[in-house]
Amino acid sequence: MGTFTAKPAFKSSDEPAIARRVTSRRVGRLRWVLLLLAGLLCAAFLVSLFVGSVSIPPQQVMTALFGGETTRASWATIVQDYRLPKALTALLAGAGLAVAGLLMQTLFRNPLADTYVLGIGSGASLGVALVVLTAGVGTTTLMGALGLAGDAAIIVAATLGAGAALAVVLLVARRVQSAPTLLIIGLMFGYMTSAVVSILAHFTIPNRLQAYTNWTQGTFGDVTWSQMGLFAAAILFGLGMSFISGKPLNALLMGEDFARTLGVNVRRARWVILIAAAILAGTATAFCGPIAFLGIAVPQICRALLRISDHRWLLPASALCGAALALAADVIAQAPGSQTILPLNAVMALFGAPIVIWVILQRSNLRSGI
Amino acid sequence: MKHVLSLVVLFILSSAALIMPVSAQDEPIACVQNYDPAADYFADEVTVDYAVGFDVEYFNNYKVVHVTTPWQGAETPFTYVLVRCGTPVPDGYDDATVIEVPVQTAVSMSTTYIPHFVELGLLDSLVGVDEFDFIYSPEVRERIDAGEIVEIGGDATVNVEQTLDLDPDVIFTYGLGTPDYDAHPVLLNAGLNVVLNGDYMETTPLGRAEWVKFTSLFFNAEAAANALFEDIATTYSDLSELAASVEERPSVMVNGMYGDTWYVAGGNSFMAALIADAGGDYLWAEDESTGGLPLSFEAVLDRALAAEVWLNPNFWLSLDDGLAEDERYAEFAPFQKGQVFNNVAQVTPTGGNNFGEAGVLHPEELLADLITIFHPDLLPDHALIYYVQLQ
Repeated sequence: MGTFTAKPAFKSSDEPAIARRVTSRRVGRLRWVLLLLAGLLCAAFLVSLFVGSVSIPPQQVMTALFGGETTRASWATIVQDYRLPKALTALLAGAGLAVAGLLMQTLFRNPLADTYVLGIGSGASLGVALVVLTAGVGTTTLMGALGLAGDAAIIVAATLGAGAALAVVLLVARRVQSAPTLLIIGLMFGYMTSAVVSILAHFTIPNRLQAYTNWTQGTFGDVTWSQMGLFAAAILFGLGMSFISGKPLNALLMGEDFARTLGVNVRRARWVILIAAAILAGTATAFCGPIAFLGIAVPQICRALLRISDHRWLLPASALCGAALALAADVIAQAPGSQTILPLNAVMALFGAPIVIWVILQRSNLRSGI
Repeated sequence: MKHVLSLVVLFILSSAALIMPVSAQDEPIACVQNYDPAADYFADEVTVDYAVGFDVEYFNNYKVVHVTTPWQGAETPFTYVLVRCGTPVPDGYDDATVIEVPVQTAVSMSTTYIPHFVELGLLDSLVGVDEFDFIYSPEVRERIDAGEIVEIGGDATVNVEQTLDLDPDVIFTYGLGTPDYDAHPVLLNAGLNVVLNGDYMETTPLGRAEWVKFTSLFFNAEAAANALFEDIATTYSDLSELAASVEERPSVMVNGMYGDTWYVAGGNSFMAALIADAGGDYLWAEDESTGGLPLSFEAVLDRALAAEVWLNPNFWLSLDDGLAEDERYAEFAPFQKGQVFNNVAQVTPTGGNNFGEAGVLHPEELLADLITIFHPDLLPDHALIYYVQLQ
């Protein structure tokens, strides 16, 4: 402990786990956990294809998936154009948000950091609000003509908004050492951006406002096949950037000075991580709206499952677990058997909030640290 | 000199004589000067035949109006005692709002009351509205441009100071029963005469239109309201009789996605009644709710994929607007066959739509539009008023 100049926010027993060579028995266990998560992900993916508010016989779902003729024409449409893209979107957005949350937690060395809590999601919202409410994306004829350009404009706006918010929070983080204080500042930043958004909303015409409020509800169901390519490419790019940052992330976890002694280019590593987090959070938020709690809860679950802080394991685990949880939450939100839909973020909060409370109660330094 | 003076006096007297009768004519409905308890001060009365949300009882010098359900689940009715100006306020109405009629100035907090002012000849008394942007009526817009109408803002953020400064005799508004949103608690607290209108709770087109009689009560304009509504009701009945004879009823789907939810009109709603009266087969007709029915995209797709007509899809002005919103809308048969109709024929760039204004007072025009859409042969001469076929 004494060798580190910066105050680590993580449980001290985690640190030797990184320094220590991971034994082969541990590796076996870690592999099993990853396999389990992958299995859960596959199961959740299948359930989300087979279960929805319209009940379709399983063999008909299979027929639809392989492009055959279903007994009811609507079933093929439901499976091919609605459930399948929705499941893929949940998978990608869930993985992206969970990994972005992990990056944030390490970057700020704060177990309760995530894109939502630190106001990064609000930054993305502000970006989208500026585009939708002032230029008018979605329901106006102008943007209808622009088509994909409109979607791209939303992604760029959300990513820039997320990046700007992240940069501001990082600047503040250099001055503020205390983790809870940083969270409060993030919260204030969120309030400020939502204030600007509501003022913008006040001066906008109803159909643009509807396009924006639609977006703020949070859903995996809005990404259509023609948008999927762009969405998937951006998320996969962000995930790729994150996965090559495993080693620098491990080093940063121990403090910047320690990272420098390991030969890590801290400046560059921070930038790569920052851009990856902004792309992941920005893209997911742009296409799905603000999704709460995934980013904060999933890395915690993975740390508890893996009992390790090594990012080379945590990154894939978070991606798998985030994707599985997003799919599960979406299945619940579809309220199978009923004709209506529950708000996705309400389901997320029911999952996520207890996990956050559990984390605070588990970690003695947070329980007393505020 | 004397001569000049007498000329001046004569001039003043004559001009006064000219002015006096004119100003008296300006107020033909001035307050009663010598109250006679035996006299009936209301020449014309309305009866409520279709609307279920209000009733009125006439007495010699006052009328008692009840608004029974201004919002879903409202527990106590609102009572308004409209007393002929210059006559005594009756006893026994301590809980009621007492308003002297005819009122001279009024504020309208919903576009659905705007046509009442226009068509009852009360434009001069309209001194305020909630938001200029949503007003369609050219007559009212003219007065807005001339600076004769004040904008006081809507819902709970209504500008109370400005309203107090305007000091209207009455404010017509609506309530949703949610104090965080409603304007009337704020306005009532400020001591203003607030009248709750429950027209949006009516589930029949004629019931909703009949609220024009409600507005007329405050201006003693019952004669005009009766004549106007009689025409509307007669035309509506004739048209629905015409459509009742049709053999084939096209299946009809409505609205579009709002977030994750597709709200369709309930089976007992205004829109469902209009579709049925126009000879359409509404796909959710068996449903029993009067408001919106929240459905998933899947559920709508399952029932409406092969629908024949699609009405009121969000704010689309063209099919491309629909595709920009979600390309999966193109799966629906009406979209592919170009049978998508939206109520956007008369809109302003700022969000005003006459469908929610004159269309509410004139369900017979809406009905004629829908009959023309469902059965083009029945009304060959009718050109769509509120609806357009999206291209």
